[in-house]
Amino acid sequence: MASSCAREVVISFILLKKSNSFSIFQDQAEQFFRSGHTNNWAVLVCTSRFWFNYRHVANTLSVYRSVKRLGIPDSHIVLMLADDMACNPRNPKPATVFSHKNMELNVYGDDVEVDYRSYEVTVENFLRVLTGRIPPSTPRSKRLLSDDRSNILIYMTGHGGNGFLKFQDSEEITNVELADAFEQMWQKRRYNELLFIIDTCQGASMYERFYSPNIMALASSQVGEDSLSHQPDLAIGVHLMDRYTFYVLEFLEEIHPASQTNMNDLFQVCPKSLCVSTPGHRTDLFQRDPQNVLITDFFGSVRKVEITTETVSLDSDLAGFESNLPKDELATEPLKYAEQLPVAQIIHQKPKQKDWHPPGGFILGLWALIIMVFFKTYGIKHMKHIF
Amino acid sequence: TESTSPDSNAFVFCVSVVEGLALLDLGVSPYSGAIFHETPLIIYLFHFLIEYAEFVFMITDVLTAVALYLAIQDFNKVVFKKQKFLIELDKYAPDVAELIQTPMEMHYIPLKVALFYLLNPYTVMSCVAKSTCAINNTVIAFFILATIKGSAFLSAVFLALATYQSLYPLTLFAPALLYLLQREFIPIKLKSKSFWLYTMQYTALYLCSLVVIICLSFFLLNSWDFIPSVYGFILSVPDLTPNIGLFWYFFAEMFEHFSLFFICVFQINVFFYTIPLAIKLKEHPVFFMFVQIAVISIFKSYPTVGDIALYMAFLPVWSHLYRFLRNIFILSCVLVVCSLLFPVLWHLWIYAGSANSNFYYAITLAFNIGQILLISDYFYAFLRREYYLTHGLHLTRQDGTEAMLVLK
Repeated sequence: MASSCAREVVISFILLKKSNSFSIFQDQAEQFFRSGHTNNWAVLVCTSRFWFNYRHVANTLSVYRSVKRLGIPDSHIVLMLADDMACNPRNPKPATVFSHKNMELNVYGDDVEVDYRSYEVTVENFLRVLTGRIPPSTPRSKRLLSDDRSNILIYMTGHGGNGFLKFQDSEEITNVELADAFEQMWQKRRYNELLFIIDTCQGASMYERFYSPNIMALASSQVGEDSLSHQPDLAIGVHLMDRYTFYVLEFLEEIHPASQTNMNDLFQVCPKSLCVSTPGHRTDLFQRDPQNVLITDFFGSVRKVEITTETVSLDSDLAGFESNLPKDELATEPLKYAEQLPVAQIIHQKPKQKDWHPPGGFILGLWALIIMVFFKTYGIKHMKHIF
Repeated sequence: TESTSPDSNAFVFCVSVVEGLALLDLGVSPYSGAIFHETPLIIYLFHFLIEYAEFVFMITDVLTAVALYLAIQDFNKVVFKKQKFLIELDKYAPDVAELIQTPMEMHYIPLKVALFYLLNPYTVMSCVAKSTCAINNTVIAFFILATIKGSAFLSAVFLALATYQSLYPLTLFAPALLYLLQREFIPIKLKSKSFWLYTMQYTALYLCSLVVIICLSFFLLNSWDFIPSVYGFILSVPDLTPNIGLFWYFFAEMFEHFSLFFICVFQINVFFYTIPLAIKLKEHPVFFMFVQIAVISIFKSYPTVGDIALYMAFLPVWSHLYRFLRNIFILSCVLVVCSLLFPVLWHLWIYAGSANSNFYYAITLAFNIGQILLISDYFYAFLRREYYLTHGLHLTRQDGTEAMLVLK
């Protein structure tokens, strides 16, 4: 369908090259390939804790930084960090998280808003965020309030294996669970298109099981391969970033809100020579051609603004609006607690009738035995003294 | 928290009998639930006594005390007669005058026994918790009374009742038989015909009464449900609620594969001590009975404090062994401290959550070690006194130096 339309565009382009309707057709054609989303969300998850997993936090914060820089506001980002590296007692440079060695780039900054922190990053909370099944007391910043016109970017990083991702060293999320969560999102119309990026060992196993439409997935390594970390910083003492996300970050630094770079370029980021592992991607569930998908469709928040030169006047007869408000009904009788237990009845009730009685044969047999024992012990001749 | 404390649980009355009767009222067999493990005779007894449960248990405790009083009174007479007999036969060494028991000091022993039973805090606890162990104690006390009075028929009947209710008094068959044989002056020789005749008679009495009681309980509910529920429950130990015994922790930790083997080992452990004790203590069956009751109450599958109260009631009978007891201070400290720590650690484990089952089991172990030490101490003291009686107080070895008795 896409290719036939492309052909149509080309034909119309050739035929109507110099006509005025060229621009109309071009607009129509471009309209067709543009994404139909109206808002962008991002869910960025770091699942590892402990100081030596510094790089996972740095990964997530780099993507956070890029996404925020390209326009997605904090209210539309759900950032989940399983541990606090910036204020970790082992951090020689407190309040910073670096992504490049020699402390070139501080991805922590002054305006990081972490929504789920520390022990709140659990599989349950993650799935609740995705599916929207959150308790009513959850604050707005912790909710994914997407609708069917949202493009969502989901980035996960941590330690994983074939078919699972480890959360907090104590539980895992499996690829089946993730696929089912996405299917729930699709059925509840919670996304328009979804981009799933994962940077863990054997990351490709996590997107194997997706079956919902409009999902594009990228992973840092294939099944059986490990994703490797990039470079340690000798002053901080840990590895700062993972290779895949490091090169993705460098790629994203080139993007600005108006750039036309498409997904195919993102697929080329970090070839095997740089990454040592083979990044993978999956586009079969995605309905558009990745060639036509802009990076800013997911990483940025490009708003469509329509400029009009006409003035719009609002009606001034809003006075009649107030009369429809309902009046509060005053309580006519005093409120009291309902009768929970009929205490008066319980105190004075008689013991209830027993329905079971031992069978007559048993009673007879028992007392016969007792009398026999009694007489055997004391002898019949004592009966004379009783009667 | 009497009813929730585990010291007098598994056969705890409050929950289980009420449930059993309620199930019966609904028309369902009371053994279909997992709580009720009492015999049908208990059902019958409490069917009309349930409203007066407290009085029932008070009366059973009083009956136990009275039975023990009468039993020990008779036993004292027997002991005194036997002592006189042995002195006349010159079986005692010349310098053991201070070891002989006098009627003066034995006069108050029955009263002391009754008081020991009634005022024991364990008895009080077991009565307050309304544990059916009290009824078991009453039946065993009556059994002891019947045995000491010499009535083989009654003792067989009561022993059958006691075995019927909880399986372990089966081991009391041996001391009762030995006592009755002694009373009938039948010597215990394997070749003697009268020995075998009497044994057969007693066994027949016992088994017949047991069979009669079991068949009678069949007629109560018209089903044999009670056999797996009562005896299967005692033998296979499915309920691992913590109590003061040794079984629960072990079987909670064990792999399924080995549980059958260890159940067999533990149950054999209870019954096994009868044989060596019978061989060693065949001249002293009442002491044998005391040791046997103590062994049952330590090693049975669901011990309660009521069982402990029963054998502790006998301690005044052997107060003349006081000078030979070696560990009396340590073990009384152990027993008192452990009894006090039981509810503390239970609270810490279950309610406060700051201890765990290991703490509670450690106290259980220490308590049971204290009890075992108590029995072995009394055993040693008893045997030592017997040895001194026949060999004189000042023992010398071959070369003339002073010797000391050790229990091997």
